[in-house]
Amino acid sequence: MSASWLLRRLALILYTVFIVSVLVFGITQALPADAAVTLLGENATAEALNAIRERLGLGDPIWWQYLRWVGHAATGDFGLSMRTGQPVGPEMLTALGRSLLLAVAAILVMLVIAVPLGMLAAVRQGKLADMATGLISYLGVSFPEFVTATLLAMLLADTLQWLPATGYVSPLEDFGGAVRHLALPVLTASLILVAHVARMVRSETLDVLHSDYIRAARLKGLPERTVLVRHALRNALLPVVTIVALDVGYLLGGIIVIEEIFAIPGIGRQLMVAVTARDLPSIQAGALIMSATYAVANTLADVAYAVLDKRIRYD
Amino acid sequence: MTAVLSLRDYTLDYLTGSRPLRVLQDISLDIAPGEVLGLVGESGSGKSTLAWAIMRHLPKNARELTGSIRLGDTDLCSLPPRELTRIRGRRIGMVFQDPSTALNPTLTVGRQVTETLVNNRGLTRRAAWDLALELLGHVELRDPDALMRRYPHEISGGEKQRILIATAFGCRPELIVFDEPTTALDVITGARILDLFARLRAETGVAALYISHDLALVSRVADRVAVMKKGRLVEEAPAASIFARPAHEETRKLVAAVPRPENRLVHDRPGERVLLAAEAVSVRYARPRLFRPPPPPATHAVGFDIKAGEILGIVGESGSGKSSIARALTGLAEFSGGIRFDGRPIGSARDMDGAYRRAVQIVFQHPDGSLNPRQTVGEILSRPLKLFGTGSANLNAEIGRLLEQVRLPAAYAARWPHQLSGGEKQRVAIARAFAAKPSLVICDEITAPLDVSVQASIIELLLALRAETGAAYLFITHDINLIRQIAHRIAVMRRGELVDLLPIDAVDADHVHPYTRDLMAASPTPVG
Amino acid sequence: MTDLLRRLMRTPQGAIGLILLAVLAAACLFGPWLAPHDPEKMDFLGRFRSLGAQNWFGADQFGRDVLSRLLVGARSTLPMALAATLLGTVAGAVVGTASAYLGGRWDEAIMRTIDAVMAVPGLLLALLLVSTLGNGAGNAMIAIAVTFAPGMARVTRAVALTVRGQDYVKSATVRGESASWIIFREMLPNVMAPVVIEATIRVSFAVMLFATLSFLGLGAQPPASEWGLMVAEARQYVHQAPWILIAPSLAIALTAIAFNLLGDGLRDAMNPRDER
Repeated sequence: MSASWLLRRLALILYTVFIVSVLVFGITQALPADAAVTLLGENATAEALNAIRERLGLGDPIWWQYLRWVGHAATGDFGLSMRTGQPVGPEMLTALGRSLLLAVAAILVMLVIAVPLGMLAAVRQGKLADMATGLISYLGVSFPEFVTATLLAMLLADTLQWLPATGYVSPLEDFGGAVRHLALPVLTASLILVAHVARMVRSETLDVLHSDYIRAARLKGLPERTVLVRHALRNALLPVVTIVALDVGYLLGGIIVIEEIFAIPGIGRQLMVAVTARDLPSIQAGALIMSATYAVANTLADVAYAVLDKRIRYD
Repeated sequence: MTAVLSLRDYTLDYLTGSRPLRVLQDISLDIAPGEVLGLVGESGSGKSTLAWAIMRHLPKNARELTGSIRLGDTDLCSLPPRELTRIRGRRIGMVFQDPSTALNPTLTVGRQVTETLVNNRGLTRRAAWDLALELLGHVELRDPDALMRRYPHEISGGEKQRILIATAFGCRPELIVFDEPTTALDVITGARILDLFARLRAETGVAALYISHDLALVSRVADRVAVMKKGRLVEEAPAASIFARPAHEETRKLVAAVPRPENRLVHDRPGERVLLAAEAVSVRYARPRLFRPPPPPATHAVGFDIKAGEILGIVGESGSGKSSIARALTGLAEFSGGIRFDGRPIGSARDMDGAYRRAVQIVFQHPDGSLNPRQTVGEILSRPLKLFGTGSANLNAEIGRLLEQVRLPAAYAARWPHQLSGGEKQRVAIARAFAAKPSLVICDEITAPLDVSVQASIIELLLALRAETGAAYLFITHDINLIRQIAHRIAVMRRGELVDLLPIDAVDADHVHPYTRDLMAASPTPVG
Repeated sequence: MTDLLRRLMRTPQGAIGLILLAVLAAACLFGPWLAPHDPEKMDFLGRFRSLGAQNWFGADQFGRDVLSRLLVGARSTLPMALAATLLGTVAGAVVGTASAYLGGRWDEAIMRTIDAVMAVPGLLLALLLVSTLGNGAGNAMIAIAVTFAPGMARVTRAVALTVRGQDYVKSATVRGESASWIIFREMLPNVMAPVVIEATIRVSFAVMLFATLSFLGLGAQPPASEWGLMVAEARQYVHQAPWILIAPSLAIALTAIAFNLLGDGLRDAMNPRDER
C-alpha cells in the first residue's frame, strides 16, 4: 500500500461527498419548483412564503445557493432547524453518536453469530447445519426491518415482557438500562445482516475449501484442524470485511426504520421527524452526515482489507 | 524386492445422475523402489483420478468397487482418515501441476515449508527452519533466507515449483506423485525443473509416479511408461523402447501425435510476393494515468513480413508479446508503426477496411470463448458469408460445405456451442475464418488447450485447408517441436522484442541468438 | 421460453418460487373476485374476531376481513414493486452498457459517480425523493426505481465488460461488424441473463422497500389495503389481535421469498453451460 494509493482513496472520498452533497441539495432544494411551498404547504400566506424565501436565500441563483450551503456545511454549520430553531449541526451529530452505538453493536452481534454460522454451514456442506443456515438466511433476507422489528417487539416486549419496547437510555448514565433498551433494536438490525453475511461467509468459505492450496495442505499430511484453522478460515475471513462494509449502507437504511419503531433519538429518527415536519436544513444535514459516514466506513474497510491481505499490492 | 506401490485390479466408479460412470477399470501396476513410472494418456483417460485414488483424495461420489492399493505393506484403501494423515507427506509426497495455486497466498513461504517439515519429520520449529534453508539452497534457489520471508505472489512460478519439490523430497517419502509439474511453467523453466527432478532422484533414490500428457517428456524422465485409455491401462513398456515398438493402438496414436521436428509436414516453398509486412509495430495497452507510471509496451518495434502462402511461426514464452502482434494485425490493439498489406499501407485500425478484414482472419486460443454461446453453429457461420458476400445464393448449402470442409457433419449447423467438444468448437472457429476466403489466417495458440491427438488432427486440417485455398498462416505458439514441423520461418520473441527471424533450417545454426538456442534446447524431443 | 420454464421447474427453488408467484399473480388478477368479503365493509360487532370459519385470517379493528384485504392489497403492492424494478433495471442497464461500451475515462467517471451515489443508503434516497415529490404510491414507485438504477448499472456494466472481453466479440470486431450488431446481437443476449436474474432478486427488495415506505406513511395512503400500511395500522392493536399484524407481515415475507427463490432458480436454469 503506497502513499499514492491512500491519496487516491482520499480523493475518492472527497468526490463521493461532493456528489452526495449535490444529490442531497438537488433533491431537497433544487428539484421542487418552489421550495418555499414545499416547506410551508399549499395553504401558506404570501407573506410567510416571502419570509421563508428571504431567509433561505431562495431568490439567488441555484449554484450560489448550493455553494453557500456547502461552504457553511463544511464548517459544521447546517443552519437552524425550522422546527426547533436550534442549530442543526450539533443536534444531528449527537443523534449520529446514538445511531453509531446501535450500528456498531448490531455489527458486533452479527459478526459473532454470522461468521461461525456461515463457516459451519460450509464445513458441513449439504448436512443439516448447512440446510438450517440456508433456511435462516432465506427467511432473514425476506423480512423487511419493520416486520422483524414489529414481530420481535410483539413477542419479547408485549407477550413475554422480557424487554422494554421503546426508549433510549444513555450507557453513560445507566449501563444496564442502556443494554436492555438497545437489545431489541440491535437484535432487529443484526438479524437481517446475519442472514446476508452468513450466506456470503458460507460461499466464501466454500470457495476457499475447494481451492487448490487447501487440497495441497491436506495432501501434505497436515491434520484437518490445522488445515481448517490456519489455512481455510483465515483466508475466508478476509472478504468478510468488504461484505460487512457494503452492508453498512443497508444497516444505515434499516436504522431509520428501527429507530422510528423503537423511539431511539438517533439520526434516523431525527430524519423522519424532519421529513414529517418538512424541516429542510435538518433533512439536508441528516442525509449528508449519514451518507458521509457510509463513505468513510467503506474507505476504512478498503484500508483494512489492504492491510490484512498480503496478496494485493496497491500502487 | 517388494514394490513401493502396488495396485491390483483396482476399479472405480463415479456416481453421476442416472447411472455410474466407470473411471478406472482393473488397474494393476507396481513401482519398484527407486523406480520412476511415467503415466500418460489424454484428458479424461483417468490418469489424474488414479493419482487421487493413490493419495486417497477422491470426490464424494466416487465408489471403489474392487481391488487394492498397497504402499509397501500398508493397505491404503482400508486406512481411516486419521491414519491417512500420517501417510500423506510422510510416506507419499505430491507435486502439483500449478505451483501458483498449491501455496496458500496469505502465509509466507517459510511458514508453509516449515509447518510441513514440523508435521512430517517431527522437528522443532527451529530445526525445521534450518532444514528448510538447507533444502531451498539445495534446489539452487538463491538467497533462501529472504525467500522464506516472502509471500507466494512475490516469487516466480519456477521458484514456487522448486520450493514445492524441495519440500516433498525433504519429507523423505518412499514415493512422490508428480502431476504434470511443468505444464504450467514456460518451456525453459520447465526444462530446468526436469533437470532438478533428475538430479534429486539420483541423489535420493525415491520412487516416483510421473503423470503427463506429453509422451516425449515422460519417456525422458521415466524408467517405464504406462499408457492409459478410458480408465484402462493399455500398455506398459520400458521408456527406452516405447517409441520404437509401441504395441497398443492407443500408444501408436500417442506416438504418432508427438510432433517431431525432423518429421516435416510441409514440403513446398512459399511464393516471393510479400502479402503482409509489419514495420516497427509497437503495442502499448494502458495509457499513463494520474498517480500511476505508464506500463512498459507489450511489443517494441517488431518488424517482419509474410509471403503469400507462407507459414510463419511466432514463438516465445507467455508475456513475450506474441499475442499482441496478433491483436495489432487484427486491429484489436492500438499500435504505432505501420503495416503494409498487398502493398497498401495501413497505419491504424481505422485503415482496416472490409477487404482487409475479409483477407485477414484470426482463430483464437480458447474454443469455449470464441463461439457465442447464444448462437447456433449455422448462425455463427452464416455471418461472415453474409458480411463479406463470399457465400453462394444457397446459404444453408454453403454452411454445409464449410462444415464438411472442416470434417464436421452438415447436421452440426443446428447445434449449440455447448453441445460440441473442444476440438469440434475449434473446427467451427476455423470454418468461420475460412468462410471469408482469407489470404492470411492468424492462429493464436489454437492447439494449446487440446489433447495431442486432437492437436495433430487440427494441424492436419489446417494444412489441408492451406493446400485447398493457398492461405498463409501466422502461427503463434509455444510448442517448438510442432512449429518446426510446419513453419517455413520462425520468429522468436522475448520481452516484447523480436530476437530472431530464421528460416526453418537455420534454427540449429551457430549464429542464432542465445535465447533461441535455450528455447530449442528446452523442448523435449522424443527419444528412440 | 417453454424450455426455460421446464428447466426452471426442475430446480427446487424455481419450482417453489413459481408456485408462490402463481398464487400471488392470481391474487393480483382476481383478488376482488376471490375475496370472501368486501375488504372495505366494516363490521363493528366483528371487531378483532379471531381466526375461524367466518374470517379465515380474522378481522381487524374495524371488523374488516383480513384475508379479503390481503387479496385486494396484492394489487397495490406487487405491480408497484414490479414496475419500480423494471424502470430501475432499464435505466441502470442503459447506463451500465453505455459505460462499458464507452470505456476509458468516461467509464471511470461514470462508475466513480455511481459509486458515490450508492453511498446514499437506498432507503434514505427513497425517503428524500418521496419527501420532495410528495407522499403516495406512484411517487414511491419512482423513488424506488431511482434508488435501484445505480446498482443495476453496476451489475450490467460488470457483465457487459466480461462479455466484451470474450473472443466471440473480438471475432465480430475483427470481422468488421457494426457497433449495433455487436451490442445487440453478440453482447446483449449474453448480458441479459445475469441482469434478469439480478432484477428478479431485486423485486423482493422492491416489495420490502415499498412496504417500508408505506409503513412510514410515505407510500400508499389509508384506507388502501397495502400490506406495509396494514402492518403500520395493526401495530397498536397487537394486544387484542396479533393476527392482523402477522398476516400482512407474512404476506410481504412470502412475496419476497418467492422472488428470491425464483431468482436463484433462474440462475441455475439460465446457464446452458451447466447442462453437459
